[in-house]
Amino acid sequence: MAQVRALDVVADSQILPIERPRGSALGRFARKKPLGAAGGILVLLLVGTAVLADVLSTHDPVRTSTHVLVAPGADFWLGTDNLGRDLYSRIVHGSRISLLVGLASTVVGTIIGGLVGLISGYAGGKTDLLSQRVMDIMQALPILVLALVLAAALGPSLPNAIVAISIPIVPRAARVIRASVLGIRELTYVESARALGARHVRIALRHILPNTMGPFIVLATAQLGGSILVEAALSFLGLGIPEPYPSWGRMLSIAAAEYAERAPWLVIWPGLAISLAVFGTNLLGDALRDTLDPRLRGS
Amino acid sequence: MRGYVTKRLLIAVVTLFGMSIVIFSLMRLAPGNIVDILFESAGYVDQADKKQLERELGVDRPLAVQYARWVGEVARGDLGKSYRYDMPAWRIIKPRLPVTLELAFLALFFSILLGVPFGVLSAVRQDRPLDYVLRVLSLAGLSMPAFWLGMIIILFFVRALGWMPSITYVSPFVDLKANLWQFMVPALAVGYRSSALIMRITRSAMLEVLREDYIRTAWAKGQRGTLVVWRHALKNASLPVITVVGIEFAFLIGGLVVTETVFNLPGVARYLVDAILLRDYPVVQNLTMFIAVVVVLANLAVDLLYAWADPRIKYEKA
Amino acid sequence: MTPLRRSVRLAALALVLVLALTLPVPAQAPKSGGVLTIHPLTAPPSLSPHEESTIATVQQVSACYSNLVYFDPAKKQESIDTVIPELAEKWSWQDNYRNLVVLLRRDVTWHDGKPFTSRDVKYTFDVVRGAPDAPVKLRINPRKLWYENVEAIEAPDPHTVVFRLKRPQPSLLLLLASGYSPIYPAHVPIADLKTTCVGTGPYKLKDYRPGEFVEYVRNPNYFVKGRPYLDGVKWVHIKDRSTQIAALQAGQLDVAGSGWNRTNAETAKKGKPELTVIESDSNVNDNVLINAKRAPLTDERVRRAINLALDRKAYLVGPRQGAATFGGAMQPRPSGVWGLPQAEVGTLPGMGDPVKQKAEAKKLLAAAGYGPSTPMKLTVSTRALAIYVDTASWMVDQLRQVGIDAVLEQIETGVWHPKMTRLDFQVALNLTGTAVDDPDAMFFENYRCGSQRNFSGYCSEEIDRLMVEQSQTLDRAKRLKLVHEIDRKLQAEGARPILGWGKQYAVYWPRVKAFPQHENSIFNVSRLQDVWLDK
Repeated sequence: MAQVRALDVVADSQILPIERPRGSALGRFARKKPLGAAGGILVLLLVGTAVLADVLSTHDPVRTSTHVLVAPGADFWLGTDNLGRDLYSRIVHGSRISLLVGLASTVVGTIIGGLVGLISGYAGGKTDLLSQRVMDIMQALPILVLALVLAAALGPSLPNAIVAISIPIVPRAARVIRASVLGIRELTYVESARALGARHVRIALRHILPNTMGPFIVLATAQLGGSILVEAALSFLGLGIPEPYPSWGRMLSIAAAEYAERAPWLVIWPGLAISLAVFGTNLLGDALRDTLDPRLRGS
Repeated sequence: MRGYVTKRLLIAVVTLFGMSIVIFSLMRLAPGNIVDILFESAGYVDQADKKQLERELGVDRPLAVQYARWVGEVARGDLGKSYRYDMPAWRIIKPRLPVTLELAFLALFFSILLGVPFGVLSAVRQDRPLDYVLRVLSLAGLSMPAFWLGMIIILFFVRALGWMPSITYVSPFVDLKANLWQFMVPALAVGYRSSALIMRITRSAMLEVLREDYIRTAWAKGQRGTLVVWRHALKNASLPVITVVGIEFAFLIGGLVVTETVFNLPGVARYLVDAILLRDYPVVQNLTMFIAVVVVLANLAVDLLYAWADPRIKYEKA
Repeated sequence: MTPLRRSVRLAALALVLVLALTLPVPAQAPKSGGVLTIHPLTAPPSLSPHEESTIATVQQVSACYSNLVYFDPAKKQESIDTVIPELAEKWSWQDNYRNLVVLLRRDVTWHDGKPFTSRDVKYTFDVVRGAPDAPVKLRINPRKLWYENVEAIEAPDPHTVVFRLKRPQPSLLLLLASGYSPIYPAHVPIADLKTTCVGTGPYKLKDYRPGEFVEYVRNPNYFVKGRPYLDGVKWVHIKDRSTQIAALQAGQLDVAGSGWNRTNAETAKKGKPELTVIESDSNVNDNVLINAKRAPLTDERVRRAINLALDRKAYLVGPRQGAATFGGAMQPRPSGVWGLPQAEVGTLPGMGDPVKQKAEAKKLLAAAGYGPSTPMKLTVSTRALAIYVDTASWMVDQLRQVGIDAVLEQIETGVWHPKMTRLDFQVALNLTGTAVDDPDAMFFENYRCGSQRNFSGYCSEEIDRLMVEQSQTLDRAKRLKLVHEIDRKLQAEGARPILGWGKQYAVYWPRVKAFPQHENSIFNVSRLQDVWLDK
């Protein structure tokens, strides 16, 4: 298939074995890539909110009350929804779901895809050809459509949503890792290792795998944002995480359908939360890609 | 080159075939088949009647038989019958096609209009404030859920500006002004996000090209900056950009699904979502297959374009 | 002028003033013309009312069909007294309400020009009741049970029909007046009626786009001369509620409000104060299905605790936003005809002091063996639609407040009814709207042993017997007493606790005149032949 795709700008380039940055790597990173640092802070904020959700909430996110559709104020920092539930607390707890689903599906998708890509790229020949075709098939549908059909097939539940979102990631991860593996496979030191009689598995694990880490991390960070977005879209369309888990995407679907005019805060804040979370991961991912891939430094 | 083309065609066919099996199986995986849906709106379920209905619709035949029948229909160009509405799927899809096509076309138009120039600008002014601003804006666009952007736009346009387009579709041939009034805002909503992607790719491609030796040579020779940029760099960066525009289509379709829902446009994408929720197998299968065909064809077209333009492939020995 | 002249003048002025203030203002004469654009509950699953159980189909198709008899659009409370003739010119009960003889109009033609005769009536009801010699068998037949009591239907001549019943049933007439009982053409294949409409009604079908709109145009040969006033009716479906409101405010919709709640109506009015908002009661209720066959609900104490835990007053404020009424199994008075007296309603579980009732619930649970260290696990199922999910989320919270570890299970369309029928649930939140405010419909559909819509699996021989008895009771006062007795028993057993009865809204522009709204049904009011536009 075509040589250049969004992520392929990274993938098809030769990736030389680079030395891991030592010492105050974090400090150097923050100075050189202020946008990335900002992204990192947003991601930390997301993780922190998710971990400390119980502490940060002002109310029980599931508790209904008679204070229905109250505007933001002292009692309810971001207002309440049509069942009298505190929006701020729901958003805080929603971070857990978004992070959980986003991370889980990204991890599952990239690991499975990565393994497929590693085996496919390293083994070459018929295995490669076959798995490439399967990956092509999985990629023939836009992520959202595939996730939609999967979610409808599996039914709305938390584990099913994770599966539905992780599957479209697999072919994309496989492609990136495979390209990276292809580049490394032909390097001299790998050839010499083979000549010395090292077993394939050993070569794969010791020499090739560590050097795909760079693209893998970049891929994972990029997909994390994507996963959060897909989950939001699924919930918006009614196929994502069911009640009572507060999901940002689902908060938007009900709000949009009923109360957008009467209570615009119900539309503004959950969407802002999603956007900031994804924005953070994207910024961080961009900066990581620039740092870990010297050829594209400056782009 | 011919070997390359044949190989790509073959791959496309295999992909589509595999896709058909996947789509067919996925729809059957879901609990609750179309007969359950038909009973649902009647408010009850009767096992004996259900079996009878399943027999009539052919849903009780073995899966392989149902699949074979479906492939036969697709080969004949028969789009099948909507179980749900009891009418040919084509009758439902036909009036919706112009809506989706117009939205997709306008969105693509906007995304190129915004994405390419900004991408070039960003590359040329690399690491300067303008570059940062543009990069942040485009990344923001990619970080927002498409449907949320739509909702915010509606809130703003409807509340603040009183924008209220027609609630039923107005064809551009009937009333062009009303039609544009209806489509401009949603097309911008979809286009903005797509333009962000195009901007980033354009920028990357331009940066790579700008670093090339022959560009430096041109500068060294004293050729004027702008001329160099526009004539040499853009021409060579255009290939990856075209590639992305082709791939973009898949990204666009995802955006169409939610945008048609949010803006209440009676298009095919929105109907796909409804059909999925209603387990209307024939419609979902055919529409999803149609999307897969479009995406695969787009990729194929891009591959061929690439092959034609990239001399390495053009002149390879079979 | 002289003092006499002045007083005469004053007296004349006073007389004129008094007359002007006390004489009724002459009603405006209805104008002809205009197309009414109206928003339905949702897009219809099909156009065949005999094969569906949703208001979405009935409301959008009533313009096209006619019944034998109908409910008077102008009378707000439907009852046996408001039944008016349509295709039937006259009718009479014979043999102590065992035979219904109907004399049909002679001047009616179908939209395709064929004449209407008694054959069409016999055909329709033979098919719907599943008669052994019916020419067609309906694949899906939700109201077969309504006509169980019909022994035979005869059409002795082209303009007479006789319904022979097995036992007396005065309420049969009400069932025939429902929007779910239009007359189908015998000469049109019944499968066609799902996607098109051939009727005798005031409007003819012009265009049907599934998921988008249903469009009608005036029937010039309608058997009521001078009607309809409108040139056409268009039911346009907009998926998003706030867009519906915006479209109404922008004037693109003339009428909306089907399926709205109070907040939606208030929002619409706030933006455009000229809009008319009509809020009425309706015979749609939220109820809880309790599966007494599944643990831990086999224990009567647990069932009662659940009922007590659900604070009806909080339900009113939260999920219903202040717009609901309370009652038993029949729609409460004054809008319902058969409701329990209000004093009695106040004593039903969940209606009292929430603190006391929740404490009592906790005690019952403790007696059944559940406490803070051993909480009861319960799954509340409901349909995966926004209105259901909201109320069910509220329910889950109420149950948690008495120490029950409740979670919500959302069941998708298409899986809901099979699951309910299989009794594959513990507790479920359900919404029930019955076509006619009559015990023959309400009780038989929802509480009779083995009825397909009796989702909680409730079965009592005694109640069944009482149901049949009230159906044959001709004396109204006696019948009311029997109905109350049944209702009381049902509430005491708590098989299907009622959370509350909802309200319905019609929001429209002042130019829309004579738009009908009934207070004990939403199903029997959409013929729209008397509506006119003052443009």
